[in-house]
Amino acid sequence: MKSKNIWAWIILIIGLVYFFLPLLATFEFSLKMIKDRYTFEAYRVAFTDRQFYLNFGYSFLWAMLTIVISLLLVVPTAYWVHWRMPKMRPWVEFVTLMPFVVPAVVLVFGMSRLYGGGLKLFGTPILVLTGTPILLIAGYVVLSLPYMFRAVDTGLRAIDVRTLTESALSLGAGWRVIITQIIFPNLRTAILSGVFLTFAIVMGEFTFASLLYWPAFGPYMEEIGAMRAYTPQALAVVSFLLTWGSIGLMQWIGRGSVQEVTAAH
Amino acid sequence: MAFLQINNVSKSFGRAWAVRDFNLNIESGELVSFLGPSGCGKTTTLRMVAGFETPTSGVITIGGDDITNKPPNQRDVGMVFQSYALFPNMTVAGNVGFGLKVAKKPAEEIKKRVDEMLELIHMPEYGERYPHQLSGGQQQRVALARALALRPKVLLLDEPLSALDAKIRVSLRAEIRSIQQKLGITAIYVTHDQEEALSLSDRVVVMEAGRMEQVGPPFEIYNFPKTTFVANFVGTLNSASAEVVDPARGLISVDGVQLESAQDLKAMKKGDKVRVAIRPERFNFVAQERKANVADCTIENITFLGSIVRIQVKIGDTKFYMDTFNNPFLELPALGAQDQVTCSKEAVLVLND
Repeated sequence: MKSKNIWAWIILIIGLVYFFLPLLATFEFSLKMIKDRYTFEAYRVAFTDRQFYLNFGYSFLWAMLTIVISLLLVVPTAYWVHWRMPKMRPWVEFVTLMPFVVPAVVLVFGMSRLYGGGLKLFGTPILVLTGTPILLIAGYVVLSLPYMFRAVDTGLRAIDVRTLTESALSLGAGWRVIITQIIFPNLRTAILSGVFLTFAIVMGEFTFASLLYWPAFGPYMEEIGAMRAYTPQALAVVSFLLTWGSIGLMQWIGRGSVQEVTAAH
Repeated sequence: MAFLQINNVSKSFGRAWAVRDFNLNIESGELVSFLGPSGCGKTTTLRMVAGFETPTSGVITIGGDDITNKPPNQRDVGMVFQSYALFPNMTVAGNVGFGLKVAKKPAEEIKKRVDEMLELIHMPEYGERYPHQLSGGQQQRVALARALALRPKVLLLDEPLSALDAKIRVSLRAEIRSIQQKLGITAIYVTHDQEEALSLSDRVVVMEAGRMEQVGPPFEIYNFPKTTFVANFVGTLNSASAEVVDPARGLISVDGVQLESAQDLKAMKKGDKVRVAIRPERFNFVAQERKANVADCTIENITFLGSIVRIQVKIGDTKFYMDTFNNPFLELPALGAQDQVTCSKEAVLVLND
């Protein structure tokens, strides 16, 4: 029993070192912009670059649009699957897992071919979307599907969707009222976890933005990385903090709902 | 014309019939319960009245309006579910007022009506609480108030007490009945608990395998069951195979022991095989000399059930239960002892299936 414990600790420590050592090294390096002492000079430089704010702002905008569209798509779908077609759940789940199977590069090439003039009606290209951010957002929505669907699905499993829907119906409510006043509020925690995960993914995404030529935080970091030594390290640390911040926020909100549930018993 | 009519309603799921040829007229202000084991079609029938299922054939009308194909949110029907189904994100007042808010009633009217409903369920000070802060019994009372707040034409209750513990079940069912009578609302109550059905209904519909077995007031259902299923499902019952001995005099024989029935058996012939049923509480030990319906028996088993003592006796090769009220001075017979039991001829029910 005791020796097992020791092994568990050793493995944990190896794991933590493997994960945190590169991060610590990056952080340490980012502090050494000025010779012979530790300063936050690299961060100052990074944060005074106008391009940083522009690209970060674009990424933020893409993230918000992705979140809105993803919610509008996933919440009603998952709700309907739970209420009316529980047998379809594994299939829907399978479809949402596609981004784990199809690499982003393949997806973006396929999309830009098909919607960049590849789709023809009587010889004329139709649905040419390559000049608009629609492809980018659509791609991000696909990338966010596994996280968003799972989060919402878990939330729906925790409430009695069918009976709540039926009791609202018998009280005269229509679909709009049921979705906005019953389903959305009771999925708050689940939706927020999906939102933060999506946010974190879109903020750091590189492939889509780079290949579709839209300004975003990911390509900006790559560009800076090719030109400078210290600022990209500072930005890497910043983006890690951003992701962790999102996840931490998600945990913190989720914890509130656990307390609520325990209070009920 | 009856207020709520269910005419020739059938419902199939694929090839299986959940409900077949269901016919029932419910008068205004009446409380009818659907009683039966799970899978008998009682909940499906209720859900068709609520609009959550569409009948495969047949017509349902409320107050003369055909509602068979109306969506549930336009039916004016209140529903109480087994799992309470209160909206977790709303307070008690929010839940009770939900339907009125959806119907866009003015705020003062909603408030007044909510207060009235909370008064009705004896929970006036609970308006600001959330469902998770209430006990099961309180949640179900709020669910009842919520269903009644819109003054529906019909109140539907789908096993509303099944999730509660025994004590609360008894007190809440009395409360449901008194509220239903006070408001004079027409109600359908689905349950698998025969005691519940018998204690609160004006009429009971006993269902089995999608069909109605018997419809009648609780007294009739209990005392004069028409089929073996009803006899067995409602209350405890001894049932045994018997043979008709003398149809003119109502004489039958169980394992050679002759019993007289008050029922008219003239349609039967001597030698016909029938089922006979006798309630345990109708048996007595023979205290004085009697001529009819006396049977020799052996005491097989004695079970103490609180207010009653259930004794298993063997008449011929058939085992019967007999119930006697418990009292501290009761002299119980010894196991294996020989004795004699009797019952009135009205207690001997010959079933017709």
